[in-house]
Amino acid sequence: MLWAVTVTGIGMGAAALVLALASEQLDRPALRAFLVGWIVVPYIVSGAIAWWRRPDSALGPLMLATGFAMGLTPLQWSVDPWLHSIGQLLDMLPAAMFLHVFLAFPTGRLTRTADRILVVACYGIALGLQLVKTLVGADPSSRFVTAANPGLAGVVEGVQLSLVATLLLAGTWLLYRRGRATGRSARHPAALVADSFGLALVMLAVLYVAGLASWPATDTVRLVAFAALGLAPLAFLFALLSARLARGAVAGLLIELRADPSKDLRGPLARALRDPALEVTYWLPQFTRWADENGRPVAAPQPDERRAVRILDRDGAPMAALTFERALEDEPELVDAVAAAATIALENARLRAELNARLQELQGSRVRVLEVGRLERQQLERNLHDGAQQRLVALSLELGLLHESAATDPKLRARLGQAKSEVSTSLSELRDVARGIYPAVLTGHGLEVALESLAARATVPVRLEVNLRSRPPENVEVAAYYVVSEALTNIDKHAAATSAAVTVTHRGARVVIDVDDDGCGRVDPAKGSGLRGLIDRVQALAGEVTIEAAQPAGTRVHAEIPCS
Amino acid sequence: MTSLSAAIAEDSVLLREGLTSILTAGGMTVVAAFDNAEELLAAVRDLKPSIAILDIRLPPTHTDEGMRAALDLRAHQPEVAVLVLSQYVEVGLAMQLLSDSTNGVGYLLKDRISDIQDFLRAVRQVAAGGSAIDPTIVSTLLSRRRTDDVLTRLTPREHEVLQLMASGTSNQGIADAMVITLRAAEKYVSSVFEKLGIASSRHDSRRVLAVLRYLRS
Repeated sequence: MLWAVTVTGIGMGAAALVLALASEQLDRPALRAFLVGWIVVPYIVSGAIAWWRRPDSALGPLMLATGFAMGLTPLQWSVDPWLHSIGQLLDMLPAAMFLHVFLAFPTGRLTRTADRILVVACYGIALGLQLVKTLVGADPSSRFVTAANPGLAGVVEGVQLSLVATLLLAGTWLLYRRGRATGRSARHPAALVADSFGLALVMLAVLYVAGLASWPATDTVRLVAFAALGLAPLAFLFALLSARLARGAVAGLLIELRADPSKDLRGPLARALRDPALEVTYWLPQFTRWADENGRPVAAPQPDERRAVRILDRDGAPMAALTFERALEDEPELVDAVAAAATIALENARLRAELNARLQELQGSRVRVLEVGRLERQQLERNLHDGAQQRLVALSLELGLLHESAATDPKLRARLGQAKSEVSTSLSELRDVARGIYPAVLTGHGLEVALESLAARATVPVRLEVNLRSRPPENVEVAAYYVVSEALTNIDKHAAATSAAVTVTHRGARVVIDVDDDGCGRVDPAKGSGLRGLIDRVQALAGEVTIEAAQPAGTRVHAEIPCS
Repeated sequence: MTSLSAAIAEDSVLLREGLTSILTAGGMTVVAAFDNAEELLAAVRDLKPSIAILDIRLPPTHTDEGMRAALDLRAHQPEVAVLVLSQYVEVGLAMQLLSDSTNGVGYLLKDRISDIQDFLRAVRQVAAGGSAIDPTIVSTLLSRRRTDDVLTRLTPREHEVLQLMASGTSNQGIADAMVITLRAAEKYVSSVFEKLGIASSRHDSRRVLAVLRYLRS
């Protein structure tokens, strides 16, 4: 189809050449035919390419139609009276179509009322007055002459050419004003080129006025005007397709968004779209309203004469909206690509926020689980202390008293002594169990006393240094206690050390614990569940544990726990 | 000899009554027995008993009330001996009790009460200004590996003496426990001090602290 159209169009250019050469009334027929072809071929070729590359844009078909309209005008050079008459009737049509194309660039549609009025008026004058002019015999050889009136015909032609020239100048003025208003030149260098071809309209207007006034320089003016008109479609095509180049900016956008995902979205998007006035508004589903990037409520984004709106959605639910210059609508690929990048970035940001919220929730529940566990263990130890241990002590005392009073019965006395020592062993075992459940001494007497006992039970001498301004919260004390306890256990089991040092101090609002040994330094937290467990415990309190080789030998367990 | 007077703070009724009857049977007078530290402190101020016997964990919080009362007594009424009883013995607490004042201090596990004669001996020892430290503490400290081999240079008999000394046993007590003469016991003691390189002290309690300090260093 496109090929057929193109071939037909170029055929028309060739036909124009033939017609011109065959004509007897034209002076410099080759030049006239060349000028027609100069316009027809670029419009046909550019229109076909634009239609192919931008099927959605009306600009391609419009350019093709203009090319064809121009291609029909050489019919007036035909020797055949009917063809000549038809060609003569269409003589002014291209002028209206040029105006149409220039004003419709870049979308191919006339969106403004002023443009529409201008273009419709121009069509009316170019075709309507042409018909009137022909009917009254402006061209005596036309088949359509019905009431020859050369005087009237001259007046009509004068009015027609003046009006068309005026409309062309008005169109030029509209183009100029619009270019200033949208600041498009700053946005789109190709558009600047295209707009400058509005000058071609001026030249055309001058051409008509010159023809009317029968200036001697008419031929020169025609040459310049046609040259400009023929170059315009190439500029249009270039401007239309340069959106492909602009898409390169999207790659930069993605890199920028990836490099710093927390950065504000608007800046990179505005740069990629080359629209400094770009607005990004966010949909807040929980409040069912729109907000700016600072969360301030704003009105729902509405498209207007100059701004277009693109909603970014996920599964049909809106996430955000981009409000951008309407002229960008003629670069749908660019807007699509930027919107896709923005959607990815927003989705990432949303996922990140969700992940952070979950992490915080998890952190919170980890702390709660630990705290509940701690309190349960503390209660269990108390129950043991006040229950079983107390009763066993009482039983032991009772056995002791019986043992005393059985002085006369050595056999009974021996058995009672045996029973008493059994109870004593049970008590000793129970004490170890209770201590394992919860370091009760910590609650009553603080970290230093508790660590003193730990140090005393270690198999190597431990230098203990506790330097705390005040007692930290008990959960921090317990965590610190287990850090030292696990580290010392580890030293006993694996380090082959001869001594160890424990220091506990405050650094700001943190409790800092260091356990050093002079052993062989083989500590792998992945292996011992004890060290792993203490890392978990400290991390749950937003603290940190590092285990590293110390100099010149041994291992250092370093922990910091915030007292919040 | 005048009979010793004792004041008790112990929240378990069974133990409180058991203690009272044991001390009474041992020829002492129990002048006050409470389940809390507050009332005991008031009673000690008024009645000035020879010895106050306290549980570490007492109401209302069952954490360190008894310990605080004991330290309070050491600081303000050093003439009253203090014996602290507990379900657990902590080296740190022993040092705390001893470092304040070494005269008339005891720290024993509760189940030591059931060895009635030993317990009465310990109470008398503390009331007389000596000290009684639970053997668990000493054995804990002795059980660990040491960088120096000083302890390995002690003879088994000297080792035994060291343990008894660290528990607060007097020279006479050591002689009795090891079934040797007082002179022999004294010779062992000075030999131990010499080998460990710590200054000898005639004061039973002070040498307990010295030995404990040595062992935990």
